[in-house]
Amino acid sequence: MSIAYLGLESVRQLKNVRSTVFTFAVPLVMLLLFGGIYGSSGQIDKVTGLPWIVVTTVQMAGYGGMMAALGQAFTIVTERSVGWNRQLRLTPLTGVGYLMSKVVAALAVALASIIALMVISVIVFHASLSFGGWALAALGLWLGVIPFALIAVLIGQFAKPQFAQPLFMVVFLGMAILGGLWVPLSVLPDWMTNIAQVVPSYWLNRLGQMGAGMGGDILEPVLVLLGWTLVLGAFITWRYRRDAARQ
Amino acid sequence: METVNTTPSPTAPAIRLRSLHKNFGQLAAVDGIDLTIQPGEVVALLGPNGAGKSTTIDLALGFATPTAGTAELFGGEPRAAIETGRVGAMLQGGALLPTMTVAQSVALIAAAHRHPLSVSEALERAKCTEIAKQRVSKLSGGQMQRARFAVAIVSNPDLLILDEPTAAMDVEARRTFWQSMREFTDAGRTVVFATHYLDEADAYADRIVMMAAGRVVADGTPGEVKAVVSGRRIRASFDFAWSPAIEAELYELPGVRSIDHRGDVLTLVSDDSDAALRTLLSHHQDVHDIEVTAHSMDDAFLALTASASKSVPDAIERAPRIEAEESTLIGDRS
Repeated sequence: MSIAYLGLESVRQLKNVRSTVFTFAVPLVMLLLFGGIYGSSGQIDKVTGLPWIVVTTVQMAGYGGMMAALGQAFTIVTERSVGWNRQLRLTPLTGVGYLMSKVVAALAVALASIIALMVISVIVFHASLSFGGWALAALGLWLGVIPFALIAVLIGQFAKPQFAQPLFMVVFLGMAILGGLWVPLSVLPDWMTNIAQVVPSYWLNRLGQMGAGMGGDILEPVLVLLGWTLVLGAFITWRYRRDAARQ
Repeated sequence: METVNTTPSPTAPAIRLRSLHKNFGQLAAVDGIDLTIQPGEVVALLGPNGAGKSTTIDLALGFATPTAGTAELFGGEPRAAIETGRVGAMLQGGALLPTMTVAQSVALIAAAHRHPLSVSEALERAKCTEIAKQRVSKLSGGQMQRARFAVAIVSNPDLLILDEPTAAMDVEARRTFWQSMREFTDAGRTVVFATHYLDEADAYADRIVMMAAGRVVADGTPGEVKAVVSGRRIRASFDFAWSPAIEAELYELPGVRSIDHRGDVLTLVSDDSDAALRTLLSHHQDVHDIEVTAHSMDDAFLALTASASKSVPDAIERAPRIEAEESTLIGDRS
C-alpha cells in the first residue's frame, strides 16, 4: 500500500476544519469550563491519587481522541455517497487498503487532539505531571482509541448518509456518558457504573489514567480493548467480504 | 467462469468482452455482449438510457461480477490493468470530494498510483491549470468534468473509459474537452466513451458500438452505422389538399419506404430518392421548398434501437407499426 497516499490522506483529514470542531473544540470548551470552575485548587482525586485537573485533562483528551476517531464515520459515508471511493477503485488501492487508510487517519487526528488538549491544560491550568506521565497517558489514550476507529469504519460501511448522523450521536453520547468521559462515574448511579465495565470508552479513560499515574494493572484495559478490536475487526471483514461478493 | 490469464500482454486487445451477461433479479441489464477493442481505437458507445452502457463499463473494469461470460483488459484481469495504472476512467456516480481543490484531488489520486504523471502535467493536459486552486464545490459543470478528466489521466493510462464525459457541458466546454481528449489520444491511446450526443460519436469516434436492451445492435465506422438506414429523405412543402388518395399515390413513387405529413410539409423516405423526386415533380407542380438529405446519425440510432426493442416481449404488439413510428420521429427531429 502506498505510504504517499496514507500520508496525504492523513494530512487532509488533519486540515479538515469542520471535523475539528467536533473532535477538538467541544472537549476543549469542557476542559476550560470544568478546569475554570474546579481546576486550579490542587485537589487530589481519591480514586487515582492524581491531581484532579490531571484526571479531568486525561478524561477530556480521551473524549477528544474518541471523537476524532469516530468522526471518520462521516468521512467514509460522505466519500461513499459522493462516489469518491469509485474513483479510488481505479487505483491500486484495495478495499482493505482504503479502510486501513481511514484507521490511520483516525489515529493521526486522534493523536493531534489528545496532545493539543494536554498542552493547553498545562499552559492554562499548570496541570502538573511529569513529562513521562503525560507521554504515557497520551500513549494509553492513543492505543485505546483503536476500537473507536474501527467503530467508525463499521458505521461508515453500514450507514446510509441520512442515518449516519443519528447513529453517530447515539454511539458517541453512549460512549461519552457510560465511559465516564464527561462526568466522573462516581456521581452516576451504580447500575450505570456496572454497564461502564463493558464499554471501550471506560477502559480508554482507565488506560489513560494508568498512564498518567505510571502504574496500575494495565492487563485488564488492554484485554478488554483488544477484545473489542478483534470483534469489530471480524465484523468489518465479514461486511467487506459480503459487499465484495454482492457486486 | 473460464480461467483468465492474469498477465497483461502488450499486444492483447485493450478490451475483450466474451458473451458477457449481467442480471439484476429478473432484469438482464447486459444480455450477451461480445466486443473486442484493439489498442489505439477510439470507440463511442451509444445507446438510450437503460441500454446497459454503464453496467457494461462496470463489468469491463471488474467493478461488478458478470452473471456469465468474461471481461479482460489487455489480456488479463481488469484489476491487474488497473493496478498497473493502464486504465483511467470518468465514471457515472464517481465524483470528486467537494471540500478539496482540483489540484488536491489530482494529487491524492496520484499518490495512490505507482507511476503517475506529475500533478501539474495532468492538470495542464486536462486544461485545468487555471482552476487548480478552486474548490470542487465551486466548479461549474464543464469545469467539474475537466477536473474529473485530470483525475482520470493522472495514472498516464493506455486505456481511457469515459462515461458521458460531456454531460452538463455547454457547446464551448464540449469543444475544449474534446480537444484535450484528442491531444491525449494522439499518442495511440485507446478511448471508449459513452455518450448521448450522436454528433460527438460521429465526429470523434473511429468506431461506433450501438447498444440497446443490453445487446450490441450495431458495430462499425460512423459511415457504416449511418448506412444501416438506407435511402434518403425528401422534405417539401405542398399546396394541394391532403387526402388518402394522394397519400396512396405518393406511396407509388419509386422506392418509397415511409410518408409523413404535418401541416403543409411532407416527409418522404425513399431508397431511390432521385427517381422519386423526378416523378413527384412531374406529377405535382405545386410542390416547393424541396430538401433532400442523407440519413443522420440520429436516424440510424432511432432505427437500430427501435428494432432492438422488437425482441422485448412486451413490445411485440408494437412491432408492425415500428416503421411508421420511426419515420414520424425522424420527421419530428429535423
